[in-house]
Amino acid sequence: MRKLQLLLVALVLLTLTGGLVRAQDPEPIKAEPGVELNMVLLPKTLGNAVFDEAHEGAIEAHEELENPGELIFNAPTPDNAIPGQIEIIEASITQEVDAIMISANDYEQLLPSTTKAMEDDITVVTWDSPVSPEGEDLFIAQVDFTEVGSVMANMALSILGEDGGQFAILSATPDASNQNAWIEAMQTLLEEDEQYANLELVDIVYGNDDPDDSYNEALGLVDSYPDLELIMAPTTVGIAAAAKAMQDEELCGEVAVSGLGLPSEMQEFVENGCSQEFALWSFKDLGYLTYYVSYLLASGAMEAEEGVVFEAGRMGTYTIEADPNREDGLRVLMGPFSVYNADNLEEWAAGGDEEGEPEVEATEEAN
Amino acid sequence: MRRIRRWVPLQRLREFSLVIILIIVVFIFGNQIDNYYTPRTFNRISSTVALITLVAVGQTMVVLTRNVDLSVGSVVGFTAYYVGRYVSKNEDIAPLMLAALAMGIGAGMGLINGLLVAYGRIPAIVVTLGTMAIYRGALVEYSDSKSVATRQLPDWIKELPQESILKFGEYELRALPAIALVAVIVFFFLLLYSSFGRRLYAIGSSPEAANLAGIRAPRMVTLAFTMCGAMAGLGGMLYLARFGTITVDAARGMELQVVAAVVVGGVNILGGSGTVLGAMLGAILIGTIEQSLIRMNINEFWKDALLGLCIIIAVTVDRILINQLTPWWSRTELQRMPEEPHAAV
Repeated sequence: MRKLQLLLVALVLLTLTGGLVRAQDPEPIKAEPGVELNMVLLPKTLGNAVFDEAHEGAIEAHEELENPGELIFNAPTPDNAIPGQIEIIEASITQEVDAIMISANDYEQLLPSTTKAMEDDITVVTWDSPVSPEGEDLFIAQVDFTEVGSVMANMALSILGEDGGQFAILSATPDASNQNAWIEAMQTLLEEDEQYANLELVDIVYGNDDPDDSYNEALGLVDSYPDLELIMAPTTVGIAAAAKAMQDEELCGEVAVSGLGLPSEMQEFVENGCSQEFALWSFKDLGYLTYYVSYLLASGAMEAEEGVVFEAGRMGTYTIEADPNREDGLRVLMGPFSVYNADNLEEWAAGGDEEGEPEVEATEEAN
Repeated sequence: MRRIRRWVPLQRLREFSLVIILIIVVFIFGNQIDNYYTPRTFNRISSTVALITLVAVGQTMVVLTRNVDLSVGSVVGFTAYYVGRYVSKNEDIAPLMLAALAMGIGAGMGLINGLLVAYGRIPAIVVTLGTMAIYRGALVEYSDSKSVATRQLPDWIKELPQESILKFGEYELRALPAIALVAVIVFFFLLLYSSFGRRLYAIGSSPEAANLAGIRAPRMVTLAFTMCGAMAGLGGMLYLARFGTITVDAARGMELQVVAAVVVGGVNILGGSGTVLGAMLGAILIGTIEQSLIRMNINEFWKDALLGLCIIIAVTVDRILINQLTPWWSRTELQRMPEEPHAAV
């Protein structure tokens, strides 16, 4: 009898504490599969491999959530980047889609169209590169923007060593908001932190995310600065083009290439010594997470408010938080960074080709 | 002196003046930029110019017949991508077979342009504006917006741009410029001295006269477009070799560079005069200005405008030089110099 009483007390206590825990750490919001939503994935431009990977991730989530609606992938060409994005957004509003997922080419210029979309009850989620907070529901940040600066500074330090040396940055377009933020973060760090004192940033050039331009800009840097030891390219197009340029000019031992690169495009250059180290996050995961968040918001399962906790399929639980880099902005921070070099790249390559035979992926999902 | 004049037609004079302007341009940049006269600058500019030149050779044939082909950029992009995909699946294909495949695809696309222009009687600018978009669209569709990565390519094609054919110290004649040079030499003589070439000049100079002389203009125009496509196809394969990574956006905008090279090189946009040698010099001039501007410390947003300005200045100086030199050159001749050996009809 006594035992039974004890058990009863224990049970009551357990329920109580359980309730308490729940109040502090609410049950993450889960997505209800099968809601019909037409969604547009709008990356910066066509012809950039990272966006194809993001597309793959979005398709994975689309299928997982059994959305009978359409997932539309559309992007402008690089020479028409900003007007092209505006056109696609306007067209999506006319088609009355339910959500638009944008990697913005400009922080301000897309605002009139994205605000119009939001007024029409379309969910606007930005990813990779945001717009000003009033024109979006929230931003899916791949990594913390200041972290990109420190990851680049650290790679530069490990390549150039304690004695330092000259390096230059080969960026995308002069008005790309994400690249500019990263470069700025890196520059601040170089000025403030003593350990980077010997790293001398001699120039910033722009290859416009065009392989041709980036290739020539990289060679131009080498010609202009005979003592240059490193080209840091915070763009996947730029880093691959720079590595190819160094390879063609047989400069691989002299000028190192680093920055943000796709393992599938960079593997070869790491093997032949043209690039020792580079970093990136998974664009496939970014596409997957973006889709999940947009689906939750558009289906009405979740509100875009600070502190909301949700579950994004295979990627686990995330919280919507205030964006420290943008006033009044909300973000979901994905992370983490992977730094690739000869050691782990082999593992990565052995682990599966990025071409992604669907069968392999399917078994991964099943596990 | 008179003998020299007789043997050197006016067209050579025009090319000579382009060479002078090129020397002036190089001298000016050499004064402004440190470490300008280096082998690497030479090698870099020559590789870039090679691609433009190769496509400009084909374009010259089309322009000679009073037409223009704006689809060449898309043809280069499509063949670069197609050949890249193909070679990544069939690694052991012989280089020459691959080149033949590239030229075949390009020729097919050129043939479509030619048939529409010559037999459909649609203005070339309209036809090729359309096919420019269609071929690019075909590439986007075919590629499924995935790109070709360097590591998927066999070694020989990746190493092609580094291959040097001739060496003078550190100054090299690399494979790409060598191929372009061979194309220029072949087509230079083909256009000036073969009956095929003379007929192209005849059609461009005076379609009516050519018609009366029994030249089947539509057939020749179709042929010119087809050959232009084939050259663009070959250009596509070399584009693949040079850049390795091919996206759906490859060679976009190249048609403008090519047309600019042809026009700066003294090929008359109204047809009937000009040579591939001129087109090559035009490509070299534009390539040199473009690549040298990269080295100058100029605001990114101004570079294109400055390139345009440089081209206009260069062409103006060229016109002035020609106008000054022409009377002096033909002073002792009776009335006029024939522009080229007369069209052998």
